[in-house]
Amino acid sequence: MAEGADSVVSLEGLIGRLRRSRRLKLILFLSPGLTVLIIFFFSPFIFSLLFSLGMFTKTVVDGVSRWVFIPYPELEYYSSFLTSKSTLNSVFQSIYYASVTTLGTLLLSFPMAYYMALKMDRGTKNIALFLIFLPFWINFLIRVYAIKFIIHPDGPLSFLLVSIGVLDEGLRILGTDIAVLITMVYSYMIFMLLPVYGVMEKLNREYIEAAYTLGATPLKTLLRVTIPIVKPGIIAGSLLVFIPAMGEFIIPIMVGGGRSYPIGRLIYDQFIRIGPPLGFAYGSAAAMVYIVLIVVSTYLYFRFVGGEVRLV
Amino acid sequence: MRLGDKLLKLFFWLMMVVIYIPIGVMILFSFNSSRSKTYFEGFSLQYYESLITNSRIWESFYNSIWVAIVVIVISLALGILMAFAVTRYRPRGSTLLDSLIMVPIIIPEIVEAVTLVVFLVVVGIPLSPLTVIIGHVTFDAPLAYLIIKARLQGWNKEYEEAAMTLGADEITTFFKVTLPLLMPAILAAAFLTFIWSYDDFIKTFFTRPTGFETLPVYLWTYLARGRVELDINALSTLIIAIAILFTYFRMRVVRE
Repeated sequence: MAEGADSVVSLEGLIGRLRRSRRLKLILFLSPGLTVLIIFFFSPFIFSLLFSLGMFTKTVVDGVSRWVFIPYPELEYYSSFLTSKSTLNSVFQSIYYASVTTLGTLLLSFPMAYYMALKMDRGTKNIALFLIFLPFWINFLIRVYAIKFIIHPDGPLSFLLVSIGVLDEGLRILGTDIAVLITMVYSYMIFMLLPVYGVMEKLNREYIEAAYTLGATPLKTLLRVTIPIVKPGIIAGSLLVFIPAMGEFIIPIMVGGGRSYPIGRLIYDQFIRIGPPLGFAYGSAAAMVYIVLIVVSTYLYFRFVGGEVRLV
Repeated sequence: MRLGDKLLKLFFWLMMVVIYIPIGVMILFSFNSSRSKTYFEGFSLQYYESLITNSRIWESFYNSIWVAIVVIVISLALGILMAFAVTRYRPRGSTLLDSLIMVPIIIPEIVEAVTLVVFLVVVGIPLSPLTVIIGHVTFDAPLAYLIIKARLQGWNKEYEEAAMTLGADEITTFFKVTLPLLMPAILAAAFLTFIWSYDDFIKTFFTRPTGFETLPVYLWTYLARGRVELDINALSTLIIAIAILFTYFRMRVVRE
């Protein structure tokens, strides 16, 4: 009897202790999410890295073909990547596309964000925000297609320009870098506009007025007051645009023509057209090079620009 | 109004026009009565008719929606739990943990997609709609985490402590106090994860089994071959109309 009562008490005590135990709760709360991320996000990186080092090979074991791990890394895929002229061109083209896109979106978004944050009344601001967000309901691919539709040599813009006499023959930008860059700036614009606007919204307009009162010219006010204050937004926007823009492959394939071959398109072709094992190894090596490029360029950017990032 | 302000205003609205020109032209041509992509020849609904009978589009649309709904449920559950763990129990090394959870948001999607494929192929997991969902969750769970964590950091525990002092147990407190307070952030997270998942092309394309198409994948197989068809214009017009209605209702709900 007494023993039975004891065990009931201790069981209740155990449950109570478990309920109060912070460590247990912590493990319970964290483990599902972390397990998913570790298995399907972090470990794939390791697998991909090992693959790019030629450490997986397909062998038939007992009549079943499977991938076998070989503990000898080879640098063959990296060396052929880094010595080939065409892949290096891809790398430079990616950096070029991403830089122009970042700069273009910044130059266009900055005055827009400034106007919205400081000169608009509340009602107009809501309408403007609605209008800016609306296109993002449409699939990315459709937005790219919409631009292709317009700039097509047989498209309406070309027809319009010819009939009013601006151009002698159809518009010839489809298939060039200009088409790629226009489409990229158009598609990535919002990732710059929103963070810059977010910081601008918190900018106290009294600072600007104070600068004017103290005799600063508009240019000087812009350079010495406004830009330093919104710098965190500019940095966040630049990263949000630059990093994905470097790996863009959809836009080059759709509007860029054969010579537009940045690193994202190279990875895409290796995986989709060539496939395992060679395409996987070479494509993985390219993906690792891409990650290194991002880390290095972000580091240089922070060294050069300084400051902190504010995403929210 | 000074001249500078006028120029700014002009620039702003000009940009808005530029943003809407491609979309507007696309909508206009969806009603074109001829096959011409150069000029508008007259009003017709023929592309809407061919859209309605295109069963491949509807099947891919259905796949996009159900995948997005499953992804929302899983991502929110994982995201909310992780956000609670990090903000409420503050484990040792929580800053490191926090950055680790957010890494998938920063890594470019194509890299996430190809590394996941390498993993799946080497380990021998066959591609299926489930692998597509997993691919979405590794991005969307951190996204949900980010939004809900921002909200949890913003309020103090007084409401929950008050409920506990008045005798509510932990579970009651969670469902009666914490969850209602968290609702705006949960809705925002659900909204963003839905948009992301529904619009996702890259990860879906790499992790899908052959024959399984979501709407963006269907569009890609169509558009990458350089084909420009006016059904796509009709489809886009419908999507924009749904988006406007949805945003309108959301604004009304928010107002109430």
